[in-house]
Amino acid sequence: MADFEIRDLRASVDGKEILKGVTLAINKGEVHAVMGPNGSGKSTLSHTLMGHPGYTVDGGTVTFKGKNVLELEVDERARLGMFLALQYPVVVPGISMTNFLRTALNAKRGYDGKDKSKMISPKEFRSMLKGELEVLHMDDSFLPRYINDGFSGGEKKRAEILQMAMLKPEIAILDETDSGLDIDSIKFVAEAVNRMRGPELGVLIITHYTRILEFIKPDFVHVLVDGKFVLSGGPEIANRLEKTGYSEWAEADESAVLKPEEIA
Amino acid sequence: MGFTEETLEKTGQGEPDWLRERRRTAFAAYERMPMPSRTDEEWRRTDVTGLDPAKFATLEHANGHKQETPKLPAGVIFEPLSLAAHKHRQLVEPLLFSALHANRDRFAALHAAFFTGGNFLYVPDGVVIEEPILRQHFSHEGGTTVLPHTVIVAGRNSRFYYLDEYIGEEEEAGYRSGSAEIFVGEGADVGYVSIQKWGRHAWHLADQRARLEKDSRLRLFNITLGGRFSKTRVEASLVGPGSSAELKGIYFASGEQFFDFHTLQDHQVGNTTSDLLFKGALQDTARAVYAGLIRIEKGAARSDAYQANRNLVLSEHARATSIPMLEIDNNDVRCTHGATVGPVDPMSMFYLQSRGIPATTAKRMIVQGFFGEVLERIPFEQARTLVETELEARLG
Repeated sequence: MADFEIRDLRASVDGKEILKGVTLAINKGEVHAVMGPNGSGKSTLSHTLMGHPGYTVDGGTVTFKGKNVLELEVDERARLGMFLALQYPVVVPGISMTNFLRTALNAKRGYDGKDKSKMISPKEFRSMLKGELEVLHMDDSFLPRYINDGFSGGEKKRAEILQMAMLKPEIAILDETDSGLDIDSIKFVAEAVNRMRGPELGVLIITHYTRILEFIKPDFVHVLVDGKFVLSGGPEIANRLEKTGYSEWAEADESAVLKPEEIA
Repeated sequence: MGFTEETLEKTGQGEPDWLRERRRTAFAAYERMPMPSRTDEEWRRTDVTGLDPAKFATLEHANGHKQETPKLPAGVIFEPLSLAAHKHRQLVEPLLFSALHANRDRFAALHAAFFTGGNFLYVPDGVVIEEPILRQHFSHEGGTTVLPHTVIVAGRNSRFYYLDEYIGEEEEAGYRSGSAEIFVGEGADVGYVSIQKWGRHAWHLADQRARLEKDSRLRLFNITLGGRFSKTRVEASLVGPGSSAELKGIYFASGEQFFDFHTLQDHQVGNTTSDLLFKGALQDTARAVYAGLIRIEKGAARSDAYQANRNLVLSEHARATSIPMLEIDNNDVRCTHGATVGPVDPMSMFYLQSRGIPATTAKRMIVQGFFGEVLERIPFEQARTLVETELEARLG
């Protein structure tokens, strides 16, 4: 059994069936890419895995560390080692990035406001942050700012990866992390993700376009069309999509390559 | 029992005749006026039929617990109101109850007739006090009436901060007020914070009213946490051009608490600014009613008024009602208002939880964050820290 197993996952939004039986096995150390045209269910997959309240699970299991993830609360999934980098990170006014990061780290360490020995020390917190900020080419001026408040598209995505780096998940889902990013930001994000790659981390990259896969090389690529995988294989699939787009699947005649004017 | 002439004479004992006379006039108004009824617009959603102040006719003389007061510069007068009425009649007599009127309603009259304790602060022209003046008003027993009254007079170009903190035992019942009249002189800059923490069974009715002269600035923060029933009117009259009032409120109601706020931004002259934001969170079966009026008089051109009331409803049975009102008699003004009532944003909850933060912690952080934009505007640190601590304790 793989480290992270999705079996026959079916999910719907507002009563409309979107995922129609997705099966995928991810081992730590591997990078999987899920590619698909608009409306194929990519975001539903990422949000359902993390437990977003807007998505209803209609069937299937997701097994991680011996638990059916689908039965866990969102925060329990995160503390178990899952992470979702959102396509549209949420703006939360009134909570600083520092407070957010520190609280998340403390939660992961099991600090519940009582046992101070579990709390991350300010010194450790600062030194962790410093290293990660450098890799992502961010300065610490954004730390006192409210969560994603007034952040540019690139800053938001980098902030997502910063959170990932701080929380050190074992299964990371990157949902359209390259959308709306300029090429520099993509490089910084990819560099940070590549640094984290290793035997302790499994990655699921969800993307419409092949571009990010030039920087984060996947071990496996899966093509999602109409809520199901229609093709799975090695990185060569991405190359194929680069040329033909999603035209093989008649209803989904979309390019998998960004047109120059679509690049932010 | 009840509030009698005898109680009145006893309350005024030792005070100068002019003040005793004033109490008598207010008492007559109290006796004359009926209880507000729900046919009055202001009281339509605010039910006081269960209140009989006479049940709490024992007065507590809360003279304002003497805290360590910073060394005050020469010329500053800071004394219990009854003492100041003797020693500084020429200052106190023309101002006391000149902004708040005893005959406004029965509760205002009761307060004016029987106010006990409270302080008088006079800061002369040009005097700056760096250290905030902190005042605590305690109630010591349930079933009583406590009516502190604060009068603040800011001389020309003076600058200072003042905190009124009203403290009662958690389970205490009774009748409470805690009113303030603030006179902001030309070019003066005043930061005033009140924190109301009376017991959870108390009735609280209070008025805070300020008058701002030319080029002056007032930052007034009303924090309401206590009382089974609390009605507070916060009103600022901008009577001098160039004056600016920042009126901010924070309230947190739980259990069966009912809070009512009535605000007035009264632009009497032009080139004046008022910026009002009241933010509240409600849980359990708590309810809040906010009604705010922006009034811009005919001659008050180039006035700028902002008013917003935001409510965070934390449980299914909590409710908030918000009624913004405008009365504008001049076209050359800028006026914005808005009100929102809603639950904690589920997207924010999901986001915080997706980082491993448990739901209860996430919710607390979001509520604290909701208050953040008001908290960070509180003009001095002691008050800011105090309010933060109080909110944290209540959010659990």
